[in-house]
Amino acid sequence: MTTVTVRGLSKRYGSLTALEAVDLEIGVGVTGLLGPNGAGKSTLLRCLATALGPDSGSIRVHGFDPAVPAQRTEVRRRIGYLPQNPGLYPNFTTYDLLDYVAVLKEMTDTRQRRAEVRRVLDEVELTDRAKTKVRKLSGGMRQRLGLAQALLGDPDLVILDEPTVGLDPEQRMLFRALISRIGERRTVLLSTHQTEDVGALCERVVVMSGGRVVFEGNPRELAGVADGQVWLSGNPPEGSAAYWRNADGLYRVIGQRPEGAEAARPSIEDGYLMLLGRATIAEVAR
Amino acid sequence: MSEWHVDPGLLQQYEQGVLNPSRVMAVEAHMSACATCRGRVPVDITWLTGNWSVVFDSIHAPQAGPVQRLLARVGLPEHRFRLLTATPALRWSWLIATLSVGALAVIAAWLAAAGETGGASRLFLVLAPVLPVVAVSGAYGSGVDPMHEITGTTPSAGPALVLWRAVAVIGAATALAGVAGLLLPGPGWYAAAWLLPALLLCTGTLALATVWSLQAAAVALGGLWLTGVCWVLGDRSEVFIPFVFGPIAQFVYLAAAAAAVAVLIRRRRHFDLGESR
Repeated sequence: MTTVTVRGLSKRYGSLTALEAVDLEIGVGVTGLLGPNGAGKSTLLRCLATALGPDSGSIRVHGFDPAVPAQRTEVRRRIGYLPQNPGLYPNFTTYDLLDYVAVLKEMTDTRQRRAEVRRVLDEVELTDRAKTKVRKLSGGMRQRLGLAQALLGDPDLVILDEPTVGLDPEQRMLFRALISRIGERRTVLLSTHQTEDVGALCERVVVMSGGRVVFEGNPRELAGVADGQVWLSGNPPEGSAAYWRNADGLYRVIGQRPEGAEAARPSIEDGYLMLLGRATIAEVAR
Repeated sequence: MSEWHVDPGLLQQYEQGVLNPSRVMAVEAHMSACATCRGRVPVDITWLTGNWSVVFDSIHAPQAGPVQRLLARVGLPEHRFRLLTATPALRWSWLIATLSVGALAVIAAWLAAAGETGGASRLFLVLAPVLPVVAVSGAYGSGVDPMHEITGTTPSAGPALVLWRAVAVIGAATALAGVAGLLLPGPGWYAAAWLLPALLLCTGTLALATVWSLQAAAVALGGLWLTGVCWVLGDRSEVFIPFVFGPIAQFVYLAAAAAAVAVLIRRRRHFDLGESR
């Protein structure tokens, strides 16, 4: 079932085009939004989260139109949003912060609100940190708290803007497990720079570049974009747009086949790099 | 689920009811999160969960202080109180308003002690209308609230939240300035003469904030007021109070405030983050 429908969405900041005629449909499960800096990921997520009004185009969340003020409130009742910089109040305890956001989410009955706070604390495994001040939480715990506030009210659509940035591998694993669990019955849309996150978590992936959607499909299809264009070579290739030396001492080359090179199985990252074109490939290789 | 389980002997003592209360609580705290241990003794899980929820909330949930209890008596719901007092930005607003009124009182007292009772009254009348505006400027927006993007995407966001917060800080600042005004030397009506200019500046700031940020609107209108009255004070000081605070001026402030309210109502949606401007 489709949770979010986006048609012809555009947004400009002065002369800069952040989104250009974006069309998208997103359903239950985890969808990854991949793209380089400035691709328009955060702008798209902010529009979907109702933090930003688009210049043109339409959005529907469960059929509600956020451009209409009364329907915007209905959309807000159905979403949970973790921005890139959530700015969680450092002097609040974990419990206080969630209680405050729960009030903002119209949970006016004290008993029900507290039950909801306990539920999300348990869901993100922070129950034993309920009395800890936000400033004393580790980066991973703070992200889990950010996720917890997004989950208050059990929203149908959870929007996460680069939630794994700055997390160490252990914290990232824990966070991935959480998101995966959340995505079992909800629609989760997360933006990331990490192709590993997409491979580990997402049933569907959307790649953005220059404010446009340049790919929609599943992670295997994204890897398939680089089919027949990834090679392993014993020597550094000449004239290839991107290559790097892997742990086995072989050169992984994307693009034209170097002489004597063997075909390699493409990864999601290979497909992503191919999609973004030679300019991005050159930038990444640098 | 925990990998640690309650010792069978301890569990047996719990079942027999011979444990002291603190150990009973420890065992129940563990059982509330451990299905394995719950399965080893007869226990009412609904009762256990409910019991531990109450204990958990009484330890972790914010407690009602005297101000909340007082406001609850006059009908302010608990969730509304949480919304208005939990926000650090609002705490700063109130602190600024309180400190400003305190500083004003000290300066006025100092001028009065020096025999400048007229100077004290004028200073009060010039500055008092700006205080609620200063408080309002810290009540809402990305510049003063680090969680503004989260707040702005909740169902409570938008004009209602802005106005609730504005009313709360205006109320506090006005009450403080009102008390300070009563202590001033001079005619009794001085204590109320600043109220309509304050109303105009607050409603004007809110109306202008549908175009600019709340902070920019507050600086613009507060600055305009101070510049205007200082100019009158310098140019026509002998008629300053009747000119700026007399009946005709008060009528103009009231009419302008009504116009600002009309603009505010018409453009209220622009307080919403999700609105296309």
